[in-house]
Amino acid sequence: MVMAASHGHPEMQYIAISENVDPTLSFFRFGQSADLEIELDNADDRPLTEVKTEEGKIEKLALFYDGENIKGNLKINLKNPGKKLEHQGIKIEFIGQIELYYDRGNHHEFISLVKELAHPGELTQNTSLNFEFVNVEKPFETYSGNNVRLRYFLRASISRRISDISKELDIGVNTLSQYPDINNSIKMEVGIEDCLHIEFEYNKSKYHLNDVIVGKIYFLLVRIKIKYMELAIIKREQTGTGANVYHENETVAKFEIMDGAPVRGESIPIRLFLANYELTPTLKDVNKKFSVRYYLNLVLIDEEDRRYFKQQEIILWRKARGAKDQSASLKKV
Amino acid sequence: MPGTNSVIHEEQEKLLEEAIQVVRSESFLMKRWLDQSKLMDALKHASNMLCELRTSMLTPKNYYVLYMQVSNELQHLELHLMDEFDKKTLPNDLYELVQYAGNIIPRLYLLVTVGVVFIKCQFSSRKSVLKDLVEMCRGVQHPLRGLFLRNYLLQCTRNQLPDVEEDASCGTDGDVQDSIDFILLNFSEMNKLWVRMQHQGHTRDKERREKERQELCLLVGTNLVRLSQLDGIDVKKYKENVLSNVLEQIIKCNDPISQEYLMECIIQVFPDEFHLQTLHSLLKACQNLQSAVNVKNIIAALADRLATFAQRDDGPGIPDEIKLFEVFSEEVSNVLKSRSSTMQKEDMITLQASLLSLALKCYPDRVDYVDKVCNHTVDLLNNLHLDKHSIQNGTPLCNELTRMLKIPIDIYSNILTVVELKSYPELLSRLSYEPRKEMAVYIATQIVDVATEIPSPEETEFVFELLDPLIKDQPDQPSEAEDPEEFAEEQGLMGRLVNVLHSDTPDQQFRILNTARKHLGNGGDKRISYTLPPIIFSAYNLVYSYNAIKDEDEKWDKKCDKIFAFCLQTISAFVKAEMFEMSLRLYLQGALAADRQDGYDGRENIAYEYISQAFAIYEDEISDYKAQISAITLIIGTFEQMSCFGEENHEPLRTQCALVASKLLKKPAQCRGVYTSAQLFWSGKTKDAEEESRDGKRVSECLKKSLRIANQCMDKSVQVQLFTEVLDRYLYFYEKGNEHITESTLQQLIDKINEEIASLDMSEDNEQIKKHLENSLDHIELKQQDEESPMYQDLKLRSE
Repeated sequence: MVMAASHGHPEMQYIAISENVDPTLSFFRFGQSADLEIELDNADDRPLTEVKTEEGKIEKLALFYDGENIKGNLKINLKNPGKKLEHQGIKIEFIGQIELYYDRGNHHEFISLVKELAHPGELTQNTSLNFEFVNVEKPFETYSGNNVRLRYFLRASISRRISDISKELDIGVNTLSQYPDINNSIKMEVGIEDCLHIEFEYNKSKYHLNDVIVGKIYFLLVRIKIKYMELAIIKREQTGTGANVYHENETVAKFEIMDGAPVRGESIPIRLFLANYELTPTLKDVNKKFSVRYYLNLVLIDEEDRRYFKQQEIILWRKARGAKDQSASLKKV
Repeated sequence: MPGTNSVIHEEQEKLLEEAIQVVRSESFLMKRWLDQSKLMDALKHASNMLCELRTSMLTPKNYYVLYMQVSNELQHLELHLMDEFDKKTLPNDLYELVQYAGNIIPRLYLLVTVGVVFIKCQFSSRKSVLKDLVEMCRGVQHPLRGLFLRNYLLQCTRNQLPDVEEDASCGTDGDVQDSIDFILLNFSEMNKLWVRMQHQGHTRDKERREKERQELCLLVGTNLVRLSQLDGIDVKKYKENVLSNVLEQIIKCNDPISQEYLMECIIQVFPDEFHLQTLHSLLKACQNLQSAVNVKNIIAALADRLATFAQRDDGPGIPDEIKLFEVFSEEVSNVLKSRSSTMQKEDMITLQASLLSLALKCYPDRVDYVDKVCNHTVDLLNNLHLDKHSIQNGTPLCNELTRMLKIPIDIYSNILTVVELKSYPELLSRLSYEPRKEMAVYIATQIVDVATEIPSPEETEFVFELLDPLIKDQPDQPSEAEDPEEFAEEQGLMGRLVNVLHSDTPDQQFRILNTARKHLGNGGDKRISYTLPPIIFSAYNLVYSYNAIKDEDEKWDKKCDKIFAFCLQTISAFVKAEMFEMSLRLYLQGALAADRQDGYDGRENIAYEYISQAFAIYEDEISDYKAQISAITLIIGTFEQMSCFGEENHEPLRTQCALVASKLLKKPAQCRGVYTSAQLFWSGKTKDAEEESRDGKRVSECLKKSLRIANQCMDKSVQVQLFTEVLDRYLYFYEKGNEHITESTLQQLIDKINEEIASLDMSEDNEQIKKHLENSLDHIELKQQDEESPMYQDLKLRSE
């Protein structure tokens, strides 16, 4: 799996290019051809979201939420004005799909909506066609991981006898959640007998992506020479099912919370701002294809560089914009 | 292992140099970004710079150097942030942003810096920022790094701590109680870190570690200084909210270095008024400190401070309701009890000394307090089984006790106040011979220097008890002889001391002298020659005093008899001790004293008795011819001065003098004795005669006789010397008008001398003789040339 993440196949390139014109066609130049452009309404006012491409580039995509209409127009610019373009029909599709990198051939579409924009006929001039998908269900969050990606895109196409002209536009989707009804703190006593005994507490078990983890570590017994202590956030991506389950662990945050060796009775505060890190909501069993889970890993390192750790899963969720929760930040005068 | 040390030293230098280099370049970048208002970039470099403080390689000293460098640079950042705030360009969430830093050391330094800026700009609630900062600092548990971080917190918040009453604060700004909580928490955390240093690393490095800890003590102490700078803390708050917590922390930490330093710190930084109100707690705490803690320094420091406070001219003094002495006294004895097994004996004495000094300075009128302390100290020594004379010289215990004993001597310049300390002599007696004597010398010197008169026999008794080692041999005295010079000095001191034994009432004075005589008489032969003569002289003086009040005291005559009897008896001690010359002189002095008492019945008898005693001594006991000549000269001189004798007493004495003089063994002595006795026949006086006797014939006979004796001398130069001396006598009497002396006699003598002197060898002695003669001849020449009454007109002085 590590291999798949770092070596690019030719097909990967193909998939990655979102704006693709069939390259074979450009040689013929017989008849008329056209450039397609999908334009979303109010594109300038729309919030954007950043998505990492497979090559690690950051792409800014227009952001949509579940149930939101997707409205815009398709601009068709003819390449040779004056000539006519014959077609078998013009349509626009809205597709949500999951791509597993180790299974390039199959894309799992979980949404596929089509709008016919024009019946078969001919175009003689540049044209703009409006489209709208109403109350589109967008059940999952856009995601780009090590072995899997989940994307939404619009695909416009002009059907022709020999080759179609088509054009894709990716959009981003964030799934929003409400404050969880139950959000217990995580509290636990762990230790190694006669060596180290600690009690830790994280104020919640569910954090939104701009939240702050507040907690403390209480030392009940210390018989090792601790050098420092850190809190790590580990992202665990699980893809596949059954026998073909792949796990990918990634440390997305490393945060030193204690320097030096405490003695019994010390209580060390934790305050970790999540906004500093690239995190996604916890994704559980998305369309039975993959999951992304997050763990807080408390690590103590002793003077011989031995590591003592305890992992606890936390649930990350995306909070609707504007919803205020300042419980952890300072009150302003 | 000096080699290893210098290697370590070099390595340290190098590490420090490298770290400072990084700090310089990162802070340079930080400032450059700040100038371009790129705050986030600047913070990144600030964070890089702060990462240097994560090192574990530097010694505390070098870490301090690095820390200073870094905190200077942070000050720059702080100023810039303040500036940005004024321009309203400071990001609201800066306090959050700096907490993104992954490493805790840079994160917390930045947090403190930003937090303080927020406070200063009143951007955030002062109360909550302070609380947050001090809590977050818990993340650094490494002692050295934690201490410096918290010190940075303390430095940055220096002038930002709320200092108003609870009611006056506006909620979020905080009040003095918040400051107290803030500092107390920081204090206890810092102290814990400081104590923890002790328990890290190898036991073989213990000494070095303790030294390093001592170097860091100021960091911890600064917390207490901050507390003391809060005006909002009044006595009540101090008592209830501050001191109790500080003391609890000190006691709980169980670390001697910390306990000792912090206790002293409390005493030094908080005002005396507070200490007065919290005496009990402070002293109680001392009982609970580790046994390795030097409690006496702490208590002594407190006592000294309060004593100084009590003595301050502009101060209010010790309030009446505070029983300072009682409290101190009680708590000190509690401390002593609780530490009886672990505390050094000398430290116990030091504590008592502090108490003593406190009593003396705070309650100068309460001699009973001081006596109480002495008394307690005696008890203390009893419990330690330190009996009489048992405290050996040079031991720390001895030094401390001596120091303690000197305190009242120094402070009560009047020795009579010391006399009221009934337990003092008992305490003094615990010292062994050497220090006891040293104390005696100290006391005696003080008495003599201050010249306080000791006006009663009782007080004399007491003082003499203190000075016993100077007065007589001690049972515990070492057998070897003392340094004679030192001995002479000590006894000389005692002699001077007799002069301050003085009452204006003669009867009382006589009793004092009797007492002194009784004690000093026990001093043995070697002491009395220093100590008794002043008594005798003082007694002679007393006779004058009685004479002066003869109109008021009809018994004065009898009393004088008694004094002379007392002196006779006292002088007999010298005779017994075979100090004959001394006895002789004292007899003669007595004779003179008696002679001077006009109207005193026993005058002639007493004088006769004394003179005859002198003769008896002379005849029986003085055999050395040089001593004889000086003795007879003294006798003649004294006798010549006296005028109390009738002819029937005068005649035999006079004749006796001449006779004794002429019987001296050696010729030169004989010669000198005879010409000296010539004086008696000229200026001697009897009580009946108005005038001196002026018996020129006898004078002339004496001089002739002395010439004759001189003539018999075999040694030429001695002979010439004697001739010259006799010539001087002739000239004297001739000039006084003795008609039995003629110029021809003089001329004969001069010729004779000139003749003889020419034959003398050249030698130093002879040169002296010639000079002597020259002087005499010069005198004659002067007289010859005198214009008013020329003399010696016919004398030829120098041979041709």
